[in-house]
Amino acid sequence: MEFVSPEGLRLDGRRPMEMRQIRGEIGAVAKADGSAFFEMGNTKVIAAVYGPREVENRSQQISDQALVRCEYTMANFSTGDRMRKPKGDRRSTEISLVIRQTMEACILTHLMPRSQIDIFVQVLQADGGTRSACINAATLALADAGIPMRDLVTSCSAGYLNSTPLLDLNYVEDSAGGPDVTVGILPKLDKVTLLQMDAKLPMDIFENVMQLAIEGCKAIANYIREVLLENTKQLEYRRGP
Amino acid sequence: MLQSKSFVRKTKQGKVVKVVREHYLRDDIYCGASICKVCDSSTARLSPSASTILILDTNVVLNQIDLLENPAIDDVVVLSVVLEEVKNKNISVYNRLRTLCSNSMRKFFVFSNEYHKDTYVKQMAGESPNDRNDRAIRVATQWYQSHLGAAARVLLITNDRENKRKATEEGISAETVESYVKALGQPGLLDLLVQPAPEDVGMEEVEDLRPSKRKVIYSEHKPMSEITSGLHRGIYHQGKLRVNRYNPFEAYVGSESIGDEIIIYGRGNMNRAFDGDVVAVELLPQDQWQEEKSLSIADEEDEEEEDVHLVPSSADDAPRNTDLAQGSVGGTKAVLCRPSGRVVGIIKRNWHSYCGSLEPMPMPAGNGGIAHALFVSKDRRIPKIRIQTRQLGNLLDKRIIVAVDSWDCLSRYPSGHYVRTIGEIGDRDTESEVVLIENDINSRPFSLQVLACLPPLPWSVSSEDLANPCRLDLRHVCVFSVDPPGCKDIDDALHCTTLPNGNFEVGVHIADVTNFVHPGTPLDDEAAQRGTSVYLVERRIDMLPKPLTEDICSLRSDVERLAFSVIWEMTPQAEIISTKYTKSIIKSCAALSYIEAQARMDDSRLMDPLTMDLRNMNALAKVMRLRRIERGALTLASAEVKFQIDTETHDPLDIGMYQIREANQMVEEFMLAANVSVAEKILKHFPLCSLLRRHPSPTREMLEPLLRTAAAVGLNLDVSSSKALADSLDHAVGDDPYFNKLIRILATRCMTQAVYFCSGDLSPPEFHHYGLAAPLYTHFTSPIRRYADVIVHRLLAASLGLYKLPTIFQDNAQLTSTADNLNYRHRNAQMAGRASVELHTLIYFRKRPTDTEARIVKIRSNGFIVFVPKYGIEGPVYLTPRGEKGGGEWVVDEQQQKVKKMDGSISYSVLQTVMIHMEVVEPQPNRPKLELALICR
Amino acid sequence: MVGLSVGEKHFIQGGIAQDLRTDGRRRLTYRPFNVETGVIPQANGSARVRLGGTDVIASVKAELGKPSPSQPDKGKVNIYVDCSPTAAPMFEGRGGEELSTELSGALQHCLLGGKSGAGAGIDLSSLVVVEGKVCWDLYIDGLVVSSDGNLLDALGAAIKAALTNTGIPKVEVAVGASGDGLPEVDISDDEYLQFDTSGVPVIVTLTKVGRHYIVDATLEEESQMSSAVSVSVSGQGRICGLIKRGGAGLDPSVILDMISVAKHVSEQLMNKLDSEISAAEAFEEES
Repeated sequence: MEFVSPEGLRLDGRRPMEMRQIRGEIGAVAKADGSAFFEMGNTKVIAAVYGPREVENRSQQISDQALVRCEYTMANFSTGDRMRKPKGDRRSTEISLVIRQTMEACILTHLMPRSQIDIFVQVLQADGGTRSACINAATLALADAGIPMRDLVTSCSAGYLNSTPLLDLNYVEDSAGGPDVTVGILPKLDKVTLLQMDAKLPMDIFENVMQLAIEGCKAIANYIREVLLENTKQLEYRRGP
Repeated sequence: MLQSKSFVRKTKQGKVVKVVREHYLRDDIYCGASICKVCDSSTARLSPSASTILILDTNVVLNQIDLLENPAIDDVVVLSVVLEEVKNKNISVYNRLRTLCSNSMRKFFVFSNEYHKDTYVKQMAGESPNDRNDRAIRVATQWYQSHLGAAARVLLITNDRENKRKATEEGISAETVESYVKALGQPGLLDLLVQPAPEDVGMEEVEDLRPSKRKVIYSEHKPMSEITSGLHRGIYHQGKLRVNRYNPFEAYVGSESIGDEIIIYGRGNMNRAFDGDVVAVELLPQDQWQEEKSLSIADEEDEEEEDVHLVPSSADDAPRNTDLAQGSVGGTKAVLCRPSGRVVGIIKRNWHSYCGSLEPMPMPAGNGGIAHALFVSKDRRIPKIRIQTRQLGNLLDKRIIVAVDSWDCLSRYPSGHYVRTIGEIGDRDTESEVVLIENDINSRPFSLQVLACLPPLPWSVSSEDLANPCRLDLRHVCVFSVDPPGCKDIDDALHCTTLPNGNFEVGVHIADVTNFVHPGTPLDDEAAQRGTSVYLVERRIDMLPKPLTEDICSLRSDVERLAFSVIWEMTPQAEIISTKYTKSIIKSCAALSYIEAQARMDDSRLMDPLTMDLRNMNALAKVMRLRRIERGALTLASAEVKFQIDTETHDPLDIGMYQIREANQMVEEFMLAANVSVAEKILKHFPLCSLLRRHPSPTREMLEPLLRTAAAVGLNLDVSSSKALADSLDHAVGDDPYFNKLIRILATRCMTQAVYFCSGDLSPPEFHHYGLAAPLYTHFTSPIRRYADVIVHRLLAASLGLYKLPTIFQDNAQLTSTADNLNYRHRNAQMAGRASVELHTLIYFRKRPTDTEARIVKIRSNGFIVFVPKYGIEGPVYLTPRGEKGGGEWVVDEQQQKVKKMDGSISYSVLQTVMIHMEVVEPQPNRPKLELALICR
Repeated sequence: MVGLSVGEKHFIQGGIAQDLRTDGRRRLTYRPFNVETGVIPQANGSARVRLGGTDVIASVKAELGKPSPSQPDKGKVNIYVDCSPTAAPMFEGRGGEELSTELSGALQHCLLGGKSGAGAGIDLSSLVVVEGKVCWDLYIDGLVVSSDGNLLDALGAAIKAALTNTGIPKVEVAVGASGDGLPEVDISDDEYLQFDTSGVPVIVTLTKVGRHYIVDATLEEESQMSSAVSVSVSGQGRICGLIKRGGAGLDPSVILDMISVAKHVSEQLMNKLDSEISAAEAFEEES
């Protein structure tokens, strides 16, 4: 199948190095301590953060740092064919874990010992790159909740189809069976915190693909920073002089 | 940069699923006109002087692709909406259009109108997708006109009446193909036009010359919805139609749903399906399954007689055994009950263009120069095709290419249109080109991009190569090559030295082609596409460019060359003690021909080291060969012939059977051994992605003709295994010396061909090579002329850790399709080679009517098929003149495989020797053919 | 979950008694609400309703199925509600299941009528493609994204909006292919079946706090309720369904009184909702 036309356009009209349209919004859930809505093309997710608060289950309490928990859920209507999604299936558990580990790595947990931070991500619509979108939404939500972090974490994926590295695969490209490299970075510190790939890829090509994904992460980081800045301005404005 | 818009599309996948795709619109898509001042013109394709820019409607591309390929049509904008529509409707036209667009000689520009912010149109409520696409084409045309302004005229070419009307209304200039081509003033181009279907414009210009009382000849095809539901319910069966190469009135459809082949007899039941079409078949009632008995070839009105042809070299070349006798021999009644059916609908057409000539006909009087003629394809599986031409006088004695357009159920033959002329019938160059086209062989010179991948000449081994620790320096070893005389592309060389412990070190050195052909380069892509070099009688079509094949890679004598070597230590009993694989540098000390090598070995006075090595090798080879035969390898005979060609005229001077010497067998033995060793090595390292070669065991059914013939002469063959068959072939000795060879030739044609495959696709027991009785086999020894060997070289290099494995090996599907392509190319190369020999046989006998000895190989109701050993051909001999249908005088005795005269005075039986006369006759002007006639004793 | 002090409780109850609630509303006023349609493009119809801090999404997906043998002339509709943990940490894991089931059941009652299909808000017979053989099954999924009370009313409104937004492809049955098994159907690409949703009721929940009842209670107010009555009222002012929740018993006369109040409130709500929906639809067309 042809995923990149000889004219250099992908099926949805993007060029190989282009990302889908991204949009982020702070404050989607009124009752949460922090929340955000994030969309990458047709992939739409909501993240809500509760905490830091008292640890619910005392046995899980950690004396020198905060307990970070995460749950990833997909709405019944989030995919093309509707199905009742059982809670806690393997895939959700795995993604929950990935998001938790990625976010935990940037939260300054030692500042909040014996407390608990819950991150809930809800996929409203899935069109490829859900884990990246979830991480980006979670970053925004954590920032909204005012939880101290080392840096923002942003994530983006890249793949390799028709011998071309492609940024930010959508569902059609993702299901082509090619490699899909998901990268998460701390943009200021210039560190990679998340790296997943699910296919064979020669080293040199992998390097290119990963580099492309990192570029994507950086672009998202810039955008997220703008969103946060805009949000802060709004807050400042509302607070009055 | 991103202008985004999402839109909704619907697809059906059994279940109703709503599919949503994003669709980004852009402002960085350029118009491709070099005169344009606004757009980035670095990618412009349209010529600066173009006064008219053509925009094509989908129907024009689909129907008139032959016209578009003519250089007279240029400065064309291909819209992405059109490309998409063409791709969905006809993938082969799509590929041709894509080739046009990427051809730097042509000015075809692809405009991605679907992604341009100003030319994207959204489907309106109540608008069909078709109408929307038509509107998109008009919007894009209008955009071009206003974008380019007065600099050029933008012309929409459409044969859709509605689209043309709307375009004119909207102020777009639009024309039909016919009127545009007419205005160009090149009458020859008009022949390329496809006859418009009735719903299109321009119909009034074409008068229907066929009789007004048209009868329905074929039954109507069932509508698609009925076919789908029929397939669903199991009353129809889907499969690819394959027409019998030797009897175009018989076809087979391999059906998964009934797990057997369905036979289809007669054009009526084939119902307008072509070879390769995917069809839906309905089974006939069981009582009609035996129709094959009554329906012989001769009943059809346009019978073509069987031609003289080369002796088949495998079951794939041989006529399918549809002999009437089948049922009565061996009591296999089941064979009779093969399901037969009829085609009810065509799911996917496999129409392309065909090579052939016009049926001779008188010049029509008047008629404005337009004549209707019948085209006869060279490929007998294809029915005659009706075409219209304005240059009949010109075309009658030519080989031409014709494309099929449609086949109405009222018309006996499909209609098509003329594409181009190849040359005069019977002319050697023309016929050679026909052979190439027929077999889909690319004989074009290598492109500049491909040639750019070659190392600069003159090339010599560099100091880096010498310093490379992975390369073993074998320049001091006495390496030599043995090949046919005059061989320039030497890809293998050998050495054999005696070790102090009495063992031998034997090396096989193969040209290191992969050192020069790197994966992913245009050179590699081209080679992969060609798959193999093609050897015709008078020329060779190379897989790789000449500098590589004849110089850089060729292991010529006295020059340093890079090689990939397999080196064994062998005991004098030819037991392999160890095997070493390495890249190497060699310097061949002699390039011998088979004759020279043989002469050296036979001349007992010669005691020089080279000759000693040869003798040692030959001794080892004999042991190896014996052991292989004991394991059950078959020694089959082929009736290969060799031409002597006049160097000036390239006409054949002499033909004769190819002589096989001990030296040939010696080289062959070591090549086999090297291939086996390499196969073992690569499979061990890459169990899932090795390219191997297998030879399936023949089924009982395939061996049936051999057994029947053998039984008729009182010979009992044991075919239970290859070993048993080999033994019984050894014991098949008749009273005359040629008998054994004849039986072997008959056995050969019962075997299928060996094929390449990807080791991940099959299970190890299926890897078996029947003919060689080897559990594993591959091709390693001829990388200059076979792409399979190039792949195997890469695998071997990767298994040694020299290179990493190219990406293609990680994609099983891609590897499988590569293997399929190689099989296809090999088969075509073989067919082309055979066709070329047949052609030269014809040319040879044109001036030399000959009497010779022949052997009867098959009995027919009106004669028999004979095999002419001297020239390696076979063909029919008729006892009764054609047209009398063989009745009366002659009777066939199936049991005895004999044909007798009624009164019992004369009889002919299978394998009997007869004298025949061979002569080229021209029953119709410009249609020479070789005829075999019995010389009565 | 809502930890309120005694003072806060008194403040809420007192406010309600004096017809001035904590957020400044009167007892029978709704919070401002906002409807967005087509939020889930992959669904056949969808809508998001934000009612104060409550945020719900409803989607309608249509699949071809077989009518139940007892009602061969009607399609099937299923309503499922999920409470996302984003709305409250207590919904984590299986925590939201109880509430989800309660809400699903209530919506089924209020919108779909009885087992016979009588009283359903939409005409179930319009979903039949071939009687007894093929019909459309509608799957209505509600998702609570953010919760600040009065989920039932919000979900009801979202479902109504989603149904209005729904387009179902036209289906043509292949002729002649009758007989046993499922008939082959062709899906038309560009024609849609739209529902008449004027008959879909709205749900008005009256929450009794102290001696008074209020509409559109927030989470805090709901924590103070003694009982609640949800009434679904159709556009023609007919009562389509009724549910009473909460432990405390109610005097039958009070119930009748509440119903008539609900009926009155529903008129305003219906008008507001209809105009919001058409505004949202118009906005979606435009973008």
